[in-house]
Amino acid sequence: MLVTTPGAWWRPASRRSRSLDGRSKATAPEAEHHPSVRSAAVSATIAVTGVTKSFGDLAALAPINLDVAGGEIVTVLGPSGSGKTTLLRIVGGLDEPSSGSVTVDGASPHVARAAKRIGFVPQSPALLPWRTVGANAKLLLDVNRKHGGAHARRASVVELLAEVGLDGFADAYPHELSGGMQQRVALVRAMALGAPLLLMDEPFAALDEITRADMRHLLARLCEQLATTVLFVTHSIAESVFISDRVVVLSARPGRVVGIEAIDLPRPRHAELEDDPAFFAIETRLRGLLHAGAGR
Amino acid sequence: MTTRRIVLAGVLGVAVVLGLWELYVRVFDVRRFILLAPSTIVREIWDHPRFYLDATLVTARHSAIGIGIGLVVAVPIGAALASSRFLEQAAQPVLIGVLVAPWIAYFTSIVLWLGPGDPPVIFLVAFVTTPAFVFATVAGMRSADPAARELLASVDARRVEVLWRLRLPAALPTILAAARYNLGLALAAAFYAEGGNQSTEGLGAAGRRAIGQNAEVLWATILCTAALGALFLAALSLLERLVLRWHVSQRTRARARVT
Repeated sequence: MLVTTPGAWWRPASRRSRSLDGRSKATAPEAEHHPSVRSAAVSATIAVTGVTKSFGDLAALAPINLDVAGGEIVTVLGPSGSGKTTLLRIVGGLDEPSSGSVTVDGASPHVARAAKRIGFVPQSPALLPWRTVGANAKLLLDVNRKHGGAHARRASVVELLAEVGLDGFADAYPHELSGGMQQRVALVRAMALGAPLLLMDEPFAALDEITRADMRHLLARLCEQLATTVLFVTHSIAESVFISDRVVVLSARPGRVVGIEAIDLPRPRHAELEDDPAFFAIETRLRGLLHAGAGR
Repeated sequence: MTTRRIVLAGVLGVAVVLGLWELYVRVFDVRRFILLAPSTIVREIWDHPRFYLDATLVTARHSAIGIGIGLVVAVPIGAALASSRFLEQAAQPVLIGVLVAPWIAYFTSIVLWLGPGDPPVIFLVAFVTTPAFVFATVAGMRSADPAARELLASVDARRVEVLWRLRLPAALPTILAAARYNLGLALAAAFYAEGGNQSTEGLGAAGRRAIGQNAEVLWATILCTAALGALFLAALSLLERLVLRWHVSQRTRARARVT
């Protein structure tokens, strides 16, 4: 199944805000962008072509085709075991496809990885307990300092921490933070890299519902400020609708694309949007796709 | 627990044991060549402070240098074994062999090989403390958070970067736990080797010369060795507080800033 993405019209290089009446208007980037993220690197494109993945006799992914435009926020939604994380890992060069190919900006994911063009946010915050919050946020910048990624313009860690509400916590240790705060540090760590592609693997899965809602609102706000391409994996329908430009729904194992939903909701998105009938309508459609993919 | 309470608890524990010991010797009138009263041993040290201080410093030097070399040798070996199950399996029997082989069986060969003086003593201490450090390094490095490993892989971190930024710090708690065990082993090995090596000073040499001739000196060297062990452990605890302040084992007083 070939799923082609609309081109640049879908997500213009400067993100647009749109009012609820559907009329688009270009935002003035300087007016809305936080100074710490204004200098982020440009976005990356992703091309997934006929990718399959098997673990021994177990087929995890049926052929997947997916193009993601630069600056687009795409969520992969699916039930547990549908291969969402496997797909993300393949895009990030952390796993090899059994067949098919993936390119990030026309090159292999390994090239993008080595050049620090991919910011990865794992399911658990993966903060190093012996490093302070500030040092954890700088971790990926510190790695291979002399080897690549030199072209990326990095955002200020201090400013990013302030942006996510962690100013004053730079010298704290991870054990002194709540789960939501730890996950915010993980977001800052990925964003500080200034990578044009962010891969997020169910980063809010372990959080309670209220914190999780706060985090998706924060993430949506940050993504609206960045021009970065985001590939986000989740099994939360609300999360996928609130954050994304498009939602790709995978079936149960082996994962295949059962549908793609364009999220035509205005930006910037605020928490109240989740009470909007249009939001419910998209959620309902996605739930239907999920059930169809599960064969129910 | 505050530092003062920790010290107080340690002193109290030692005082209780010494008190019971003293009581036992006096009440049951234990003969001198079987067991001396602590007061007699302390009096011997009190009467010859310079002699015991010098001997203790020699044993401390032998132990510290030996355990330091053991650590420096063990960490790269442990890092190599942590990266390969095959290597680890291949090395296990050798390391176990080093741990269990009786020192008396091979120490003479070490003296003949390295000659008289400090080298055989330091070698034995390093040799016997290496396996525990290797095991601790392997276990600690393997316990590094897999998500953090993946995170570093996402920016193509080189092996040396992963080792330096993740695996080695992750192994610090187990390495320092092994150091507690190794401190006792190092002192025992130094005491034995000083006694077995006829051309060095130290508590072991003094104790060896006193066997069968002067029970006060023999027991005084044992007490000095025990005191040295307590001092080493106190220093290690301080080191743990400094370098492991992030670790759960050192967070008894720490309160979460945010819950």
